[in-house]
Amino acid sequence: MQPYDIIIVGAGGGGMYAAMEALQTNPKLKIAVVSKVYPTRSHTSAAQGGVNAALANRHKDDTIDLHIFDTIKGSDYLADQDAAAILCEMAPYVVREMENLGAPFSRMEDGTIAQRPFGGAQKYRCCYCADRTGHTLLQALFEQCLRQGVKFFSEYYLLSIEHDGDKAKGVVVMNMQTGKIDAMPARSVIIATGGYAKMYWQKSSNAAGSTGDGIAAALRAGLALEDMEFVQFHPTGLRKSGLLISEGARGEGGYLVNNKGERFMKTYAPEKMELGPRDLVSRSIEIEINEGRGFDSDAGQYMHLDLRHLGAKLIKERLPQIRQLAIDFEGVDPIDEPIPIRPTAHYSMGGIDVNNDGHTAIKGIYAVGECSCVSVHGANRLGGNSLLEVLVFGKLAGRHAAQNAPSLTPGAISTAAVEKSVKEIEAYGHHDRTERYGELRDELGKTLGANAGIYRTKKKLEKGIEEIMEIKERFKNVRVNDGSVIFNTNLFQVLELKNMIALAETVARGALAREESRGSHSREDFPVRDDAKWHKHSIFHMNDQGEITLSTKPVTMGKYELQERKY
Amino acid sequence: MDEKKDIYFKIFRFNPEADTKPFYDDFKISVEKGVTILRAINYIKDHVDSTLSYRFYCQAGICGSCSMRINGVSKLACTTQVWDELPNCKEVDVITIEPMNNFEIIRDMVVEYTPVISKLEKYISWVTPRIKQEDLGKKEHLIPEAEFKVYDAATDCILCGACYSECSMMTSSREYISPLALLKAFRMVKDSRDTRSQDRMKVLNEDHGMWDCTHCYRCVQACVKNIPIMDAIQGVRNEAFLRGMKNSEGYRHAYAFTQDIKSTGRLKESTIAVRTKGIFGSVSMLPFALKMMSRNRMPHFFVKTIPGIKYVKKIFQKLK
Repeated sequence: MQPYDIIIVGAGGGGMYAAMEALQTNPKLKIAVVSKVYPTRSHTSAAQGGVNAALANRHKDDTIDLHIFDTIKGSDYLADQDAAAILCEMAPYVVREMENLGAPFSRMEDGTIAQRPFGGAQKYRCCYCADRTGHTLLQALFEQCLRQGVKFFSEYYLLSIEHDGDKAKGVVVMNMQTGKIDAMPARSVIIATGGYAKMYWQKSSNAAGSTGDGIAAALRAGLALEDMEFVQFHPTGLRKSGLLISEGARGEGGYLVNNKGERFMKTYAPEKMELGPRDLVSRSIEIEINEGRGFDSDAGQYMHLDLRHLGAKLIKERLPQIRQLAIDFEGVDPIDEPIPIRPTAHYSMGGIDVNNDGHTAIKGIYAVGECSCVSVHGANRLGGNSLLEVLVFGKLAGRHAAQNAPSLTPGAISTAAVEKSVKEIEAYGHHDRTERYGELRDELGKTLGANAGIYRTKKKLEKGIEEIMEIKERFKNVRVNDGSVIFNTNLFQVLELKNMIALAETVARGALAREESRGSHSREDFPVRDDAKWHKHSIFHMNDQGEITLSTKPVTMGKYELQERKY
Repeated sequence: MDEKKDIYFKIFRFNPEADTKPFYDDFKISVEKGVTILRAINYIKDHVDSTLSYRFYCQAGICGSCSMRINGVSKLACTTQVWDELPNCKEVDVITIEPMNNFEIIRDMVVEYTPVISKLEKYISWVTPRIKQEDLGKKEHLIPEAEFKVYDAATDCILCGACYSECSMMTSSREYISPLALLKAFRMVKDSRDTRSQDRMKVLNEDHGMWDCTHCYRCVQACVKNIPIMDAIQGVRNEAFLRGMKNSEGYRHAYAFTQDIKSTGRLKESTIAVRTKGIFGSVSMLPFALKMMSRNRMPHFFVKTIPGIKYVKKIFQKLK
């Protein structure tokens, strides 16, 4: 195969923005976007709320500085301040560019882009397309990529990232429809494969494919990962599916109720009650369940989110989406019955360690979006900043890659690299293997939820690591029961599980090492933030023996001093 | 504990690598109330038969991956409750799962989706901005809420393909534009930021384009987002009238219809082909006409005016 100038892995918001920007920067470049799903299926589509930008359309006194400060405070001061500044400074530009290119943003009366309030923001800053912002941005980006003639390889699965220790060589991928494994040489590779919060499985709001494929491939390729222990939990996921019931339900006055019929938030946040911050509400639900005040079901313990007292009229008018979700996914109409909910893993702050251009330590290898850690979210991401991150850093990485690709010479990918993947995949089908994929996946999700979930302790994390290592060992004996080369979903599931196991270990090890509570990371045994010891990023590597090694790197500070985080 | 029930799933199977023709597999599983079709077939895949093949991704009704025919109708497996499907079963508690229609089958419920993307490309399904490349991102267009409302519903489309699968016109010709591409075209034509509407209308006006829809409304029925797709199809046709695009079969067909109703209140079917396709174009219809004649199905050449024609004329005047 002729080398590409740039191969982008992942066709969500970050990947497609990078492709669009790279082609605009240099239309002569040969660019391919490789994705395990058709572009419009990507998980960017699930983002509902919106994208933050200090346009000051609604609140005339909003400024970029306020946005930067909110982001840094939200991150519990773990975000790199120069990166957060770039994110917020570029925000008005990328949002307006998306608008110029056809994104159907909701409007104010004067015809400008409408903005709404969002968690952790001092001003009305969140630009939105009704409650389907991610979906419409993803469609608009896909349309623009079609306009520019971007070459898509849909339903190709990433097997490995190849480099020579200094610069990129390309990727090894599998055509999912034919099972054929091929090297795709490239001068530059942009990883845009999304997050890893699906490892919590039934306790996750994520798409089935948010399995951290690109991050795990980067780890195996010797690249550094950063801040993997930070996973954001949302308090109100649906019991069976983990899908999200947005904060709006509590905003409109919904009650959280335990099996004694009590509004239990009175114990934890007597004033704010159900409207306490996300992490606190999630922790409170966890305590109630642990102390036996949850409801029982085959799908696990849960709480009630009761909206009945709000009345049919209000529910239908203001919470139609939420009502539909409850009906579709739990078979429960909130007008007549309480919604069964429990906290759900929802966003992963950690990822591939990159600089402010999205560039890794290897020349020509980039990462953007949820798979990367710049870091703009630090220990806790603000709502409305994730769509923003994919746009801003998709653009910056796409541009940087396009400017630099011509000066890089692609090294040849050895047949040995391809052979290695071929052999691994053949081995999964061996009849001596006995472990079942579904069982390992469920056990991984359970141990993560129980031991590396909302509340963490040394004891729990050690148990978690032990169990993850057992699962890792058992995985060596996992069997792919489907012998076909055509669209072998059983094989893809196993490959995704391999990635989730690898990253689960980094989450648990990072959480064990970090002896403090910061943002989404709550240690019962170390309940306060410890800036003296832990105001730094965790860095993860995989050594030649396949073991995870930990180190740290300093947080880039700027004009904002460390402060206690209070709302 | 919730209500539970034994449900039978009758699932379409075909792997071209191993099977000479498709067949159906039956699975019996115990299902709790509140479980979706997707969760039920995931259970079968995890516990009974891991070779069962289908796509799914977000599991929340927004990515459009898991569209398949459930009890004969194309819908998303992830938003469809098992309990809600029970009244639609032909045999008691037997739910049929099949791939979408009008697509090539890759394996089981996995279909070849690329034709959808080719159609989006063919019909210029994107905004070509008014603003020059170097000026992008500097300021936003001022768009009145009223304009936005026109195509708001159309931007809900998740390209799941349910309308494509149910469309009766797609079944007769895979070259047909398809409801989802018509919907996208409408959304783009009505967007004041776009500069290529004229080119798009030209392609829409060609064979297999906007005039081929037969108004069966199955797309509207199938749409998982309840988008009024037929309004969009009428919308692009109206746009053709507004732009005076008279040189098309579709336009002539509609014009001939209107003239007939205006003058007699009835359709003069015997000449509609000539008026739509022209004399030369109609030659291709001759075998069809002869067949109709042989079965005594040829419409009468003379059409009687309806008694209430003055009221019809009044309607036309009012419309004017």
